[in-house]
Amino acid sequence: MTPAIALHDLAKHYGPVRALDGVSLDVPSGSVFGFLGPNGAGKTTTLRILTGLARPSSGSARVLGHDVVMSPHAVRSAVGYLPDVPGFYPWMTGAELLRFAGRLFGLSGRVLRTRVDALLDLAGLAGVKTRVGGYSRGMKQRLGVAQALINAPSVLMLDEPTSALDPIGRKAVLDMIASLASRTTVFFSTHILSDVERVCDTVAILHRGRVAAQARIGELKSRYGMQKIAVEATPSAEPLAAALAHAPWVSAVERPSDDRVVLAVNDVQRAQREIPAAAVAQGVGIRRLETVEVSLEDVFVDLVGEGGR
Amino acid sequence: MSGFRAFLGKELREIVKTWRIWVLPGIVLFFAVTGPVIARFAPQLVQALAPDTGLVIQIPDPTFLDAYLQWTKNLVQIVTFAIIIIFAGAVSAERRSGTAVLVLTKPLSRTAFIVAKYLAQGALLVGTVAVGAAITWALTYAVFGEAPLLSLAQATGVWLVWALMILGIMVFLSSLVGSQAGAAGLGLGAFVLLSIASIWAPAVRYSPVGLLNLSDEIVAGRAGSLLWPVVTGFALTGVALAKAVWAFSRKEL
Repeated sequence: MTPAIALHDLAKHYGPVRALDGVSLDVPSGSVFGFLGPNGAGKTTTLRILTGLARPSSGSARVLGHDVVMSPHAVRSAVGYLPDVPGFYPWMTGAELLRFAGRLFGLSGRVLRTRVDALLDLAGLAGVKTRVGGYSRGMKQRLGVAQALINAPSVLMLDEPTSALDPIGRKAVLDMIASLASRTTVFFSTHILSDVERVCDTVAILHRGRVAAQARIGELKSRYGMQKIAVEATPSAEPLAAALAHAPWVSAVERPSDDRVVLAVNDVQRAQREIPAAAVAQGVGIRRLETVEVSLEDVFVDLVGEGGR
Repeated sequence: MSGFRAFLGKELREIVKTWRIWVLPGIVLFFAVTGPVIARFAPQLVQALAPDTGLVIQIPDPTFLDAYLQWTKNLVQIVTFAIIIIFAGAVSAERRSGTAVLVLTKPLSRTAFIVAKYLAQGALLVGTVAVGAAITWALTYAVFGEAPLLSLAQATGVWLVWALMILGIMVFLSSLVGSQAGAAGLGLGAFVLLSIASIWAPAVRYSPVGLLNLSDEIVAGRAGSLLWPVVTGFALTGVALAKAVWAFSRKEL
């Protein structure tokens, strides 16, 4: 099956700066794909190349099999795009903007009217008569998603769609994206990990212009995430932490509180055997022992480092 | 093609729904209304400016020619400046506001973007000046009882060739330069250069520079051949638009 988006060794240089340095990835058709990376990793540059706003220095980028440099019209006809800071004509109403966007795709008549009404509903903007210049940031972002959907795109590209929104605005936009999951391929760039965990099924992590990892979220966690075991001890977890700190199967020790220790381990079964033994040896009681689910944040920090968050 | 039509429609609606409908038409119509009146009362105005000085100022009785010359001089001097300032942001304003990204990630080519911009602003210019010329003609007739139509139409038409060329140059500069002020500065510089070139007779005869004073000369009845200035004026407009498309197509947004 042809991937919805295929990047091969894609590079973009601005003088000596390598914004993209050989990015290769495939976005499966029908997926909600999180394109994750710290600020400055190259996410927006990748999206600008995919939408024809910028040219690659080398390598190739294909959308639905069309080369973005050789067939820009075919690409633009099939995608919907929301930039990180969408610009609108302030004198238009939301409905006028959607009608205009639809006409750019050649839509007219009943099809256009039906889509405009449906998308205004989806964006929660039905009945809003205010001009776009008077919209809040959240309303603009929802309108941005709506205009990106006017052509019923095969691929929807969203650049940081939630980064500047308050929690309510974020939830509204994420709900919109989640509702599209089975209908179109969504390529969603962000640095907000919780958003990715909430709506995406597959992710790529971009770091310093390169893809550090790409997989389904669960697979990524099991492949890159260090297993963790949390122990609640009585009267204190301090002797247990000290005793286990140098065990060969322990990678890191965290002390969130006096009676709790969290161990990053590379051999879970051995840990489960040896932690109770160490507790007995140290005269410490165990109130609770549990494995901690690895978060995408843990994987991200492992791959990108603390500075990348 | 549907993208071009939709964008041209947006440009025309934008003119009607924003400040654009007031500024250029306001300037042109102001001069259209005041020109014949000022021409009619110019002797009295001059006399009023120098009262009781003993100075005797002899001014011939004004005619329709003075009203027409008032119209063409205002077009050449003030309205040309207005065109340079107003249209300096024709393309760069859409880049800065992010709306260029909104439309150019849809099936609208950059060539269609530039051509639609030029046609819409050109329609505003032609429509406004045509209405202004009609008002000038009607008021001149009302004030002087005489207003030959042909010379005014010719003079206005020739000035429109000049104005459409300046518009083309401004669309090019706005595609090339990111800021409206920068494009306006370059546009004013180009206007000054064309004005300086108008003291060199071959440039006046064989290039668009000749368009600068041709409207006045048509009204005064001493115009030479229109052919070379008009043809080269259209040619320069075409070159400016082609360069605008070239410059804009190379820009990364």
